[in-house]
Amino acid sequence: MATKKIELPQGTLDLLILRTLALEPQHGWAISERIQQISSDVLLIQQGSLYPALHRLERRGWIKAKWGTSENNRRAKYYELTKTGRKQLELEQDSWKKLAAAVAQILETA
Amino acid sequence: MFSDLILRLRSLFRRETVESETDAELRFHFDQQVAKFIKSGLTREEAMRRARLEFGGHEQLKEEIRDARGVNLVETLIQDVRYGLRILARTPVISCIAILSLALGIGANTAIFSLIDTVMLRMLPVQKPEELTQVRMNDPRSPNEEPEPTFTNPLWEALRDRQDFYSGIFAWSLTQFDLSQGGAVRDVNGMFTSGEYFSTLGVRPVAGRLITAADDKRDCPGVAVLTYGFWQEHFGGAPSAVGGTVSLDNHSFEIVGVSAPGFSGLEVGNKFDVAIPICAAEIFDGPKTRLDRRSWWWLNVAGRSKPGVNADELEARLGVISPQVFAAALPRDWEPKNQEEFLKRSFVLTPAATGTSYLRRRFTQPLHILMGVVGLVLLIACANIASLMLARAAARHKEIAVRKALGASRARLIRQLLTECVLLSSAGALLGVLFARWGSALLVRYISTGDNKVFLDLSLDWRVLSFTAGVAVFTGILFGVLPAFRSTRVSLTSAMKGSQAIDGESRAKFRPGKWIVASQVALSLLLLVASGLFLRSLITLVTMDAGFDRNNVLIVRANLHTAKALPEQQPAMFDEVERRLRSLPGVISGSRSVMTPVSNYVWNSDLDVDLPNAPKGDAALAYFNFISPSYLETVRTPLLAGRNFNDGDTKTAPRVAVVNETLARTFFPNGDALGKYFRIHPDPGKPAPPILIVGLAKDAKYESLREEAHATAYFPIAQIPEDAEEQVFELRTAARPSALVPSVQEAVASVSKAIPLEFHTLAEQVDDSLVQERLLATLSTFFGALALLLAMIGLYGALSYLVAQRQPEFGIRMALGAPRGSILRLVMRDVVAVLAGGLAAGACLALAAVGVLQKMLYGLAPHDTLTFLVAIGVLSAVAMLAGYLPARRAMRIDPMAALRYE
Repeated sequence: MATKKIELPQGTLDLLILRTLALEPQHGWAISERIQQISSDVLLIQQGSLYPALHRLERRGWIKAKWGTSENNRRAKYYELTKTGRKQLELEQDSWKKLAAAVAQILETA
Repeated sequence: MFSDLILRLRSLFRRETVESETDAELRFHFDQQVAKFIKSGLTREEAMRRARLEFGGHEQLKEEIRDARGVNLVETLIQDVRYGLRILARTPVISCIAILSLALGIGANTAIFSLIDTVMLRMLPVQKPEELTQVRMNDPRSPNEEPEPTFTNPLWEALRDRQDFYSGIFAWSLTQFDLSQGGAVRDVNGMFTSGEYFSTLGVRPVAGRLITAADDKRDCPGVAVLTYGFWQEHFGGAPSAVGGTVSLDNHSFEIVGVSAPGFSGLEVGNKFDVAIPICAAEIFDGPKTRLDRRSWWWLNVAGRSKPGVNADELEARLGVISPQVFAAALPRDWEPKNQEEFLKRSFVLTPAATGTSYLRRRFTQPLHILMGVVGLVLLIACANIASLMLARAAARHKEIAVRKALGASRARLIRQLLTECVLLSSAGALLGVLFARWGSALLVRYISTGDNKVFLDLSLDWRVLSFTAGVAVFTGILFGVLPAFRSTRVSLTSAMKGSQAIDGESRAKFRPGKWIVASQVALSLLLLVASGLFLRSLITLVTMDAGFDRNNVLIVRANLHTAKALPEQQPAMFDEVERRLRSLPGVISGSRSVMTPVSNYVWNSDLDVDLPNAPKGDAALAYFNFISPSYLETVRTPLLAGRNFNDGDTKTAPRVAVVNETLARTFFPNGDALGKYFRIHPDPGKPAPPILIVGLAKDAKYESLREEAHATAYFPIAQIPEDAEEQVFELRTAARPSALVPSVQEAVASVSKAIPLEFHTLAEQVDDSLVQERLLATLSTFFGALALLLAMIGLYGALSYLVAQRQPEFGIRMALGAPRGSILRLVMRDVVAVLAGGLAAGACLALAAVGVLQKMLYGLAPHDTLTFLVAIGVLSAVAMLAGYLPARRAMRIDPMAALRYE
């Protein structure tokens, strides 16, 4: 498992969280599971970075939290995207795509 | 961002909820994870173990979440404050000394600043004060002097009737009225106002109505408006007061209303209690009323501009009408040359948003000097606390090392230490505000004189409070920064070794302490020099030979005009009163005159003599007094040559005069004034009889103790050329002058019960003329002593600390055979070095700074050597004493005990 782990570049986690929440409101555990699944277990999000990131995003007003009931009937804290969060997601997605394309181009040609 | 703020506040104040929510959230995550592992086939224990491993430190994660929510800043601040309070409470004596000296420093600053605020900065409590401007006149004869603020009534009326560009313009004049009807005078602060005064300022009545334009017409019956304060004080706020009457100078006025509380006139430092219309002056003056007099200057004029019209435009429009205005009010009896110059006058405007004030002219400079003085005191107090903090930081050396070893960052520690300092200074500021309330009230009482009660509204406003808050934060940081930075620079290993290093390191560590004490010495010297200069000026003024003897003289001012005595009866009445007063038991000598020395009143005119090179213009000015024959004897001004006046010098006898030395020297340089004649420069078309000089008197101060003797001429009171309806009796008494008041009242009442009397002593009158000097001398001496005390506490504390630090070293030295005296010398060498450095710096500072005091001094130069030497001597003596006490302790150290301690 350790071999699969890739260090996320600064700020990328925020983008991933926002993207994950763009589909539907989720609680923290589901967010980390979803990221792990979709990335085919390449990206493992540690709680140590997930929760501070969630609270930071909440403070910035990009996501908001409310208490709900989970699939197994337990109280869980659900996060959902706010309007400004959605805008922010678009912005970050754009810039990420540009960055990735640029890096890829350099790697292939150089 | 609003949501951010809500979130932070919620995190801060609903801390318990937020914490448990975070716990629940993390718990949920943990449980989900465990469930997932179990599903993938692990046993329950195995699943829990792996989940816990993945999770890492629970508390650490929560701390990171708290950081992410941005609550830590505030939370640690609260922590710091709590911890700081505990630390301060652990050393209550030191903390109290620190808070007290800060409170004195901050209190003194706040007190002086609140005076500056009220006298110079505060806006008038009226509608839109920024629209108000005072109208004054530039005199072409004296272009460098301040524009003249007083108007004659004809001039005011001419201006009022010819302008149409003000939204309102008004005139006023403050005066004193006598409420009593005969007997001892009961003064009330009166004001003449034009009809537009209250309406232009936007002041409203709380009862009845205020004076209106309809009240201010010639031949008016006169109505009175009371201020709220006076109404409460004298009528108990009774509604029935409106419609009643008030007696002013023995004339009855109907009270038509009461003005709203808070407003007490435009002149800061003076208030009015009763306002009456300008036209009522005729009621007091009779046919020769000041309303028609073209050289009776008594009114102030101010106006409110129309919206959007600025002062420059107003001045320009005033410039257009000013020739007509001045022409209409031309004083016809002036000499042609002066009339020409009168016509060349122009109006200038000065902002009146903060009111007008004679206090401002008189006390601006002293207040600024005092502000500087108290600023220095505060600096010295700060220095004291800084060295206290340094010493305490050294004592906390270990604690800080331990905290650092446990991972506290240096920034965090510095913040903790600074928090303690700001706590100290805030406590000092709170206490200081209390001191200031009390101190500034005391100051106002101090600058009030018998004749001139100063009235200032000293309520705290935002400006004073923010000043104090600013000072508190500034001082906290000032005395906190250096110790905080030094004490957190700890080498962990040496601190952990547990020994207080005794080598050069600790002495180097003490160096900032020495710097602090040296600068305290320097600042104290500056203050001592300043207070020495003020004190010596005052002593010179108080002890100098003024040419009269101020002690044991009762001054009784009597007004026959208010007593409604007919002019032709007055001389006989005054004569009779004088005769009765002189025969009172306890009176050594009694006299009467028109002027008394240093009384704020002057009577002067130019003299003509028939000599070539006779003085002209300003040089020909002489000051007059009209006296009864016993005056010179009563005030003890010696007659040097010739004769005194006697009963033969009657109204119809040839005119005679006694002159003082300066007059004789100025007009008769050959030294032969006796027997010569002079004339008083006449108004055009009036006769000027020759006056024979029959006597020569010693110079005496006339207007103020600070003056060079004025050329003075004394005339027999019987030969006074115009009516003087108010005259003064001087009574030299054997015992306390004020003890004579009842018998004087009785004696005067036996002549007429209607005569109002005002009592002073000559000594009071002289003292009152020295308010400014006494204020500066007393306060600077007080603060100088305070500074000295603070500096000595600083020196004593710093040295005690040094001695304690070096105790083992001294022990070793003594064990090796050093005589005790050498230890004493060792410590005293430090004292002398600090003292010498501080004195040298202080002397340079003082030499550079005292120049600004020049104008406030009398009889000595700012660089007065004696004052400097005495200040240096006092400071050195006290500093050596403060240093000797710890040095002696060092000398008495028991070497064995000191070494064992190590």
